[in-house]
Amino acid sequence: MSWLHAARQRLRDLFAGERSDRELAEEIAHHLELETERQMREGLDRAAARAVAYVRFGNPTTITDAARAERGSLLTEGSVQDLSWAVRSLRKNLGFTALSLLTLVLGIGACTVAFSVFNTVLLRPLPYRDADRLVFIRERTSRGELRPPSFPNFASWREQTQSFAGVAAAMHPYSRTVSVSNDAEPARLVSLEITRRFFSTLGIGMALGREFTDAEHAPGRSRVAMVSYEFWQKQMGARQPLGIIRLGDDPTPVVGVLPPGFTFLQPADIYLPHEGHTGTVRSSHNYQVVARLKPGATLAGARAEMTALSRSLKAVYGTETEAVDTDVRPLRDFVVANYRTLLSIIFAAAALVLLIACTNLVSAQLARGWHREREIIVRAALGASRARIARQLIVESVLLVISGTVLAVLVAYAAVTGIKQVGGALVPRLSELSLDARVLGFAVGVAALTALIVGIYPAFRLSRRDAGQVLRAGRGGSSVRSSVWRALIGFEVALAVVLVIGSALLVRTLRNILSAETGFDSHGVVTAAITPAESDTARFGEVVTALRALPGVEGVAFTSNLPLQWGNWSGPVRRPSDPTDRDWPAMAGFRVVSPDYFTVLRQPLLRGRAFMPSDRVGAPGVAIITPGIAEKLWPGQDPIGKRIATNYLFNDWLTVVGVAAEASSWSMPHGTQNEIYVPLDQRPGSVGQQLIAVLRTAGGPDAVMAATRAKLRAIIPHSPAQVGTIDDRIAQSAADRRFGMLALTAFGVIAIILAAVGIYGVMWYIVSTRTHEIGIRMALGATAARVRQDVLSSAAAMAATGIVLGLAAGAYATRYLQASLYGVSRLDPRIYLLGTGITLGIAVIAAYVPAWHSSRVDPMEAIRDT
Amino acid sequence: MDRSGELLPGTFEMLVLKGVSLGDMHGWGIADRIERLSGGVCDVQQGTVYPVLQRLLRRGWVVAEWRVTENQRRARYYRLTAAGRRQLADEISWWHRAIGGVDRVLRAEPREA
Repeated sequence: MSWLHAARQRLRDLFAGERSDRELAEEIAHHLELETERQMREGLDRAAARAVAYVRFGNPTTITDAARAERGSLLTEGSVQDLSWAVRSLRKNLGFTALSLLTLVLGIGACTVAFSVFNTVLLRPLPYRDADRLVFIRERTSRGELRPPSFPNFASWREQTQSFAGVAAAMHPYSRTVSVSNDAEPARLVSLEITRRFFSTLGIGMALGREFTDAEHAPGRSRVAMVSYEFWQKQMGARQPLGIIRLGDDPTPVVGVLPPGFTFLQPADIYLPHEGHTGTVRSSHNYQVVARLKPGATLAGARAEMTALSRSLKAVYGTETEAVDTDVRPLRDFVVANYRTLLSIIFAAAALVLLIACTNLVSAQLARGWHREREIIVRAALGASRARIARQLIVESVLLVISGTVLAVLVAYAAVTGIKQVGGALVPRLSELSLDARVLGFAVGVAALTALIVGIYPAFRLSRRDAGQVLRAGRGGSSVRSSVWRALIGFEVALAVVLVIGSALLVRTLRNILSAETGFDSHGVVTAAITPAESDTARFGEVVTALRALPGVEGVAFTSNLPLQWGNWSGPVRRPSDPTDRDWPAMAGFRVVSPDYFTVLRQPLLRGRAFMPSDRVGAPGVAIITPGIAEKLWPGQDPIGKRIATNYLFNDWLTVVGVAAEASSWSMPHGTQNEIYVPLDQRPGSVGQQLIAVLRTAGGPDAVMAATRAKLRAIIPHSPAQVGTIDDRIAQSAADRRFGMLALTAFGVIAIILAAVGIYGVMWYIVSTRTHEIGIRMALGATAARVRQDVLSSAAAMAATGIVLGLAAGAYATRYLQASLYGVSRLDPRIYLLGTGITLGIAVIAAYVPAWHSSRVDPMEAIRDT
Repeated sequence: MDRSGELLPGTFEMLVLKGVSLGDMHGWGIADRIERLSGGVCDVQQGTVYPVLQRLLRRGWVVAEWRVTENQRRARYYRLTAAGRRQLADEISWWHRAIGGVDRVLRAEPREA
């Protein structure tokens, strides 16, 4: 009953693998003993007889593996056995396994992290109900610019459209002084004023309490507030009932708490009803408008309706409105507009890293295959089919990839937690970052692809050998052709070059932005925003004296908004001769400043005079303008003494007394950030909710910042100051580039490391297959230095092919980076030279250890060895 | 021409089966039989008999048991089963057919082609 016997044998093997191993070991020991005895009978001494017995037997480990492989393979068609063979094989080569796992973790991990960012920011819907029905609406001017709408235009849209279930607006957030109870320390917090039914339009339910009623929005009503979940938790101690907080001096009841994590465009702590004191100027630009499409309404339909409405509003209001049309787009497109290209580039970079990782694994498998040749030959000679050997090699690769993926996901999880903290301030929505089901699915897909690439090609190559060919040809004969290596190395070097070029371009961009010409000296300027109450105006003299007395402070001035913050207050400018029924000829920002402002910022006055103490309330209205306004309004003429009007000052006529250099931030072209400056002493009522002190410091700004905060707290205790530096704000304005730079640099470094590992491995392999040849050359008189140099130059040659390819690919790929660059050409030869230098250097360094090893070959041993 | 160690695929398994059929024997004895009987032509590494024996065990063509040798040592002896005997007969007749065919080809004269 042979099947019964076979079944028993298989069962026994299944449960007694270890016992079988012991039995086999005992058999082999017995065998070697018998053979030794025979050789001794032939006349050898015991030691020699033992040696011959081993030679005749073959490698016991290989034999044991092969015997093990034969055992029980009918039971499961070999898959369990393939798996245990793979585990053993990976455990036996810990170095190879560890390096492969590291490569996989870097490759798959980088891809997973990049995709999770891409997914969170670009793919996931915004965290509002039916977020794809939300649109963002802006005015389009006759110059084609998109601008935030004015309140009257918004109100007309809200009343006269049919496409929307709701239209709502928020102002720009600004900071206020808030204390959570009568005796609590006041704090400076971000508040956002909103129109009625703002949250129901967004589709946000309250965590606690309720949204404002329409009555609470009515003019003349005393104020109520809603707070963010985070504010309620941290500052209010999650108290219930919600009670009353103080906004400045006003007690304000809290009626609701927003759900955790809620933000609209920018985070805010406190939300206030706005309808009671709305803007009235149709040509100003200071609201963010969001609308929800009615069920059944389409985006195209809404656009058509809004265009028609804008035209009829323009017909009615003429020059009072700047909007000739509107721009209606999905809210998500607006939120992530600047990030789509950048994140796509980052994602592509991660894909390149993965490709490099795959290339490394393929070459490592091939090189290792050579060392495993004996094992494979014995198995083939014992009747294992080519398919069977290929399958075992594939199982091994798959096992490697699966373990690598599990590790990569764990690493990605840690990385995501880190990125959330660093990147949350740099990229919108990044604070929502997490590994969701889609990301995990993606990781599995990437792993499957990797396993396919890494498993199949080497398995195919290695299983193709036949025993006779290998035995006849000796060890070196079956080595992988050098063209394969050149292709693999060239490929990964090329990818690394592309990444290095990309990250170098962004590093350069960021440096250019931070050192960009601003029109004044921004370095060392500290700003302190305060919210003065009426009663504080009299104490400004005291504030100036106190701040100027601080050590390290050279000068103090005031301004109505932060330097370089252009556009929050901007509007049209006209001459007396301009007809009021046509578009006004120029646009300008509006700024109220103290007389010392230009001196303190070192912003040059190009013509005319600065403000003087005589420019006070009651004196004739004066203004200082930037050159762009003068060129538009009075080309070729001296603007001093000319008269202008702006809607911010109810069209009072102002006399131009001076021209100051344009202060411009890098993000807009120079010449477009024109401003009108008016004296603070003359227009104290035109300063908005906050006033900003600017301090010129000598030495580091850090000490001055702390001292300023303390000093202001002492003088104006009810309103803590918001203190910062202009340079920090410039850096913050380049946050997207910074994030891109960090990501590309990280991937560039990983790519270089992987390429170095790849070159190292391949050169090591090539050197070890050529030991014989090197031995002969050294026997014929080649010096060690010469041999070393040959290895290094062959590595450099391989890298060179890749570098040429990489430079060409870089020249093409950087076109997608174009829009993110600043002050550097995407084809800047210095960048490409740098990419070449770094990669070539790394290639030579990586090849150095194998090269050194090759020069240590002992000619006699190397020749005898084969 | 050096052809030591070369074997047609599958023939080694037949030789091991034959080696066992000549009388219950341990691994070394089987390798020794093959080598001696072939006059040194089938001089493969001795260790390779063990994986083949494992395969034969698994297929139920041989059985193994631990016995004590005449020198009072423990050894694992292999014995042919009935299925093994049938298999060996099949393989031998296949071998003769194959060899005969090859041989006829090699002896062929030009006019026969």
